[in-house]
Amino acid sequence: MSDKDIYVRGWGAVTTLGWSAPESAKNLIEGKVLPAKAGEVSHLISSEFKSFAVPYDGDPLSKSQNMLEGALGEAIERAGLSSAEIAESSLFVGTTGGLFIRNEYEFTEEIRRNPKKEPPPISCRNRGPGEVTQVIADKYGIKGMTFTLSMACVSSSHALVIAANLLEQKKINRAIVFGFEPLLNLTLHGFASLLLCDYDQCRPFCATRSGMQIGEGAGAVILERGEKARHAKNVYKFAGGYLFNDNSSLTSGGLDGELVKEVVAQTLSLSQVSVSKIVAIKAHGTGTKDNDLSEGLGLHKLFSEKLPPVVSLKGAMGHALGAAGTMETAVWLSCLEEGVIPKSFGFSQLDEEIGFAPAQENNVAPNGAYLCTFFGFGGTCTSYLIIKE
Amino acid sequence: MSPDKTNIFKAPLPVIAASFVGPALLANGDVLWEEAKLPFSPDELVQKIMGQPMRRAGRFIKLVCCGALACLQSAPKEILHDKKVGIFLSTGLGNIDEILPFITQVFKHDGGFPSPNQFANSVSNAAAFFLAREAGVKGIILTISEEELSFESALWLAQTYLESGQIDLALVGGCDVFTPTVAESRERMNLTNENSRLLPVGEGSSWLLIGRGEKKIGDILAVQFASPEKGVLPVKNLPGMETKENYFLPGFRVKEEQIDIWKNKNNWQIHDYLQCCGIHPVAAAFGIAHALQSKKTGCFLHYNVNAAGRQAFILARK
Repeated sequence: MSDKDIYVRGWGAVTTLGWSAPESAKNLIEGKVLPAKAGEVSHLISSEFKSFAVPYDGDPLSKSQNMLEGALGEAIERAGLSSAEIAESSLFVGTTGGLFIRNEYEFTEEIRRNPKKEPPPISCRNRGPGEVTQVIADKYGIKGMTFTLSMACVSSSHALVIAANLLEQKKINRAIVFGFEPLLNLTLHGFASLLLCDYDQCRPFCATRSGMQIGEGAGAVILERGEKARHAKNVYKFAGGYLFNDNSSLTSGGLDGELVKEVVAQTLSLSQVSVSKIVAIKAHGTGTKDNDLSEGLGLHKLFSEKLPPVVSLKGAMGHALGAAGTMETAVWLSCLEEGVIPKSFGFSQLDEEIGFAPAQENNVAPNGAYLCTFFGFGGTCTSYLIIKE
Repeated sequence: MSPDKTNIFKAPLPVIAASFVGPALLANGDVLWEEAKLPFSPDELVQKIMGQPMRRAGRFIKLVCCGALACLQSAPKEILHDKKVGIFLSTGLGNIDEILPFITQVFKHDGGFPSPNQFANSVSNAAAFFLAREAGVKGIILTISEEELSFESALWLAQTYLESGQIDLALVGGCDVFTPTVAESRERMNLTNENSRLLPVGEGSSWLLIGRGEKKIGDILAVQFASPEKGVLPVKNLPGMETKENYFLPGFRVKEEQIDIWKNKNNWQIHDYLQCCGIHPVAAAFGIAHALQSKKTGCFLHYNVNAAGRQAFILARK
């Protein structure tokens, strides 16, 4: 272990599958996965768009607050951070919507309370994506550096790579990296307007796929330099963090897979891990035509016959946008703790152009390197390894 | 409090170029403007800087691109050639002028299909993408939001990337646009008479090009943060503070009595840039670019706090 190595000290997640990372992982492993639904969340106005909501009895505003506290509290508890350690930590938040849910909730509540009145103009009272970071810093007493990355679907995965980078440089001592994304009309209707939503089912890497399904969630991952995680069965190293932003297309990372191949190759090079050593890939796998084609081709080009099991979690949990990075990483870590690589949900038919099927059975998760990939709007790409030791 | 060494740069960061655009939407010029008449159309500025209209982009994207390209245009030609360049866009409020009409459309049509183009433009990192494409930059392109300390955070992060050698040059800037009404705009920035200076609300897009180059217009010496209980940040013993002419640039949450203290210090004057750009979350970017573009020489200390009391300063020298 070098003093520059970065380790995961704690993690937590709230997803549609459960109010903790282990609960989400357990349901995922046991196949207790429910399809996305429409019309079950009070502030969502369309009964057409299906999404993966976090189960909760109460209003969506208090749910989002509980999601935030649930994921962060779990990560802090698992890491065993003292108050002093929390205070000296730096905070990195990845989110696209931030606390925008407050605007949507207040607006829809106003209409619900006064159905006969002309609806008021929707106001926008939130203070931008950074507001949620300040709320967290104040609540938990975090005094270190604070950053909010608002980078669409790679917000929190970029945040993880930046945090690891600063840890390596010894600019910070510890990073609490948090992703947060409640369900919003804004994003549901937005992606629908771009014809990127699947009205039936999210089908990553499947020939019949026709779009993503949005999920909500929160995830937290605590990174530390040279410090082995003390509250997990195993030790997890974060390595090869690489981020890249292309400027070719706002909505697509190209269709030939070259960009994906380059980005993942950089991660392998930085971490000095060869393709044959990758145990499994937690792919981005949104279920959109373009993403899955470019990602599939990129992985296929790089790994060729050595392609290990590929898993997308989005068929089971939806696409949590800015929270996807930390949320999926946290659930993946809990799966590794159980010794299981979960299967990929939503697949039924091989796409000949992609040339492989995602994992259709759970697999044993031995020690070794697990690749995580994320791609997003604006040509954004993130890639890193979680090495189980 | 002794300065945190991680926040003091190993060497001064040369500023190769700087540019500021305020509410009057004129690059690098101070023009009278009125809060009640905001916002002005950016189309003339776009034509002048970009050479062609940006018909499908909103004001935020237009201002980001114009501000940053105005900065690049004032740098030596081919400055980006064969260099690893990072873009660090800071914004407190983000692309609110696209988000608001989009969400209004969503609710108005009760589940219909609002403009996909408007949604694409409203995504938080869309502006940085368009700027990257205009500037021909790939690689480290980040959108950072930290309310009124957004620019300071972006500048600090850019410095770490430069120091690590991952990039040769950093285009660091801040953009926030005014979106009516004044009252709503003040609420979005959490402005009250008690927690901010009594100045008009404004907007701006201001940028610095930082890194090693043949020519420079100044240096960034330090970016430092401190929590409220640390007391007011010290300026003694900071590198580069030997000049006789020093200017204090008060941010919009600095209390008038604090400004008076600086007025009465020997060798210190006030560079009150907020009169030129009005209050907006990334006004610090305007302040530093404005100071470095002015005829003044000496040290410039920008100081601001956020609503929770977290402090930040930027020390620059020209």
